[in-house]
Formats: sequence, C-alpha cells, structure tokens
Amino acid sequence: MKFKKGDTYNVRFVVSSDVYNGFITVFNDHNPLHTDESFAISKGFKGRVMHGNILNGFLSYFAGECLPEKNIIIHTQSIKYNQPVYLNDVLNFEAKVEDVYESVRAVEFSFSFRNKDSKVVSKGKLQIGILL
Amino acid sequence: MHMERNELLKQINDIFIDVLDNPEISLTENTNADDIEEWDSLTHIQLVVEIEKYFSMRFTAMEIQSWATVGEMINCIAAKTV
Repeated sequence: MKFKKGDTYNVRFVVSSDVYNGFITVFNDHNPLHTDESFAISKGFKGRVMHGNILNGFLSYFAGECLPEKNIIIHTQSIKYNQPVYLNDVLNFEAKVEDVYESVRAVEFSFSFRNKDSKVVSKGKLQIGILL
Repeated sequence: MHMERNELLKQINDIFIDVLDNPEISLTENTNADDIEEWDSLTHIQLVVEIEKYFSMRFTAMEIQSWATVGEMINCIAAKTV
C-alpha cells in the first residue's frame, strides 16, 4: 500500500457560488439558515451558513482524487462542524494517516478544515479501504 | 502477557457490542458471522481494526482468512499475547 502512518495531505477548497448553488440544486435543502441572509443573521451568524454536508463533498473529492491510489472505497467517516462556514470561504484541508491496517487493507485518517483565520471549522475521521 | 481464553472472549465480546452497536451480543467460541446479523464484510473490517487497536497487535490477511469462528480468532490473539 502507498500509505504510511504520519503521511499528510493538504488541499485548498473554496465554498464558491457554484458549489453552494449546485448543492442546493441537487439536494434541495433550502433551509433558511442556508438561504436567508436576514434569518441567519437573526440567529447570530454573520450571514448564510453553508450546508455542513458541502464539506462532506470536499472529503469525497479528497478520497477519490487526491490520494496516491485510485482503487479505494470509503468505509466510514465521522465529521464535526465546529464553526460556521460562509459563502466564498477558503478552507485549508489537512488529512493525516493515523494508522494503516494491512490485514484488512484499511487506512485511517484524521482530518480538519481550517478557515482563513486558521480556525478549525470542521474535523473528523475517515477510514478507506484499498480494493484488491 | 498471557490472558485466559474466557477473559479474551469477554474483551472481544465488548468490542463486538461496540462496533456492531448491539448490546445483546453474547459470543461463544463457536459463534460465526452467520450467527450475528450485523457481522458483514464491512463490519468485519471494523472488528479487525478495533481488535488490532485494543490488543496492540497486527494480524496478517492470511490469519484473518483462517478465522471461521470466534474461537479461531481467540486462538490467533492468544498466540500473540503469550
């Protein structure tokens, strides 16, 4: 396997209008927290809060496109949304290989997304399997 | 480190309960994947990973493939803890 404990990967993501609008078009989540600026501000946020699951899409891109092997499958993932993400935020994603389980061809990562202020907006764990 | 088989069985049982999210699981040495609905190919990977973590040991793919029952799993763990 082309993975070893301690390997790190960094990817930069932008929550662009295309990503935001595409997510709403595909999944139809028009909750006012995500779509109504004044509603979101009335709840104490700086503006519309981006759907947390947009970050799951970035995670999918990381697993599918940014690893040294393409023959992978996601087994499990867990994710926490620590801080709100806003439209056009630039997120620096970092994933670290926490362990490699050769016996079952599995690799565990910890990951985080940080905003431009270096605040962790989201973090979690990801386990992938390497297909035979 | 040497552990009695029944102690290993109890520890593995706790891992199964946690990973398979089923507090009703009560393993015996003869239990196999057909006996537990939640024990499928994906959860098997999670079980192996958690067992490797818990006992701080590593298995080979060949060892895992040789396990038909929980008892055979215990054989393998016990051999590595002697």
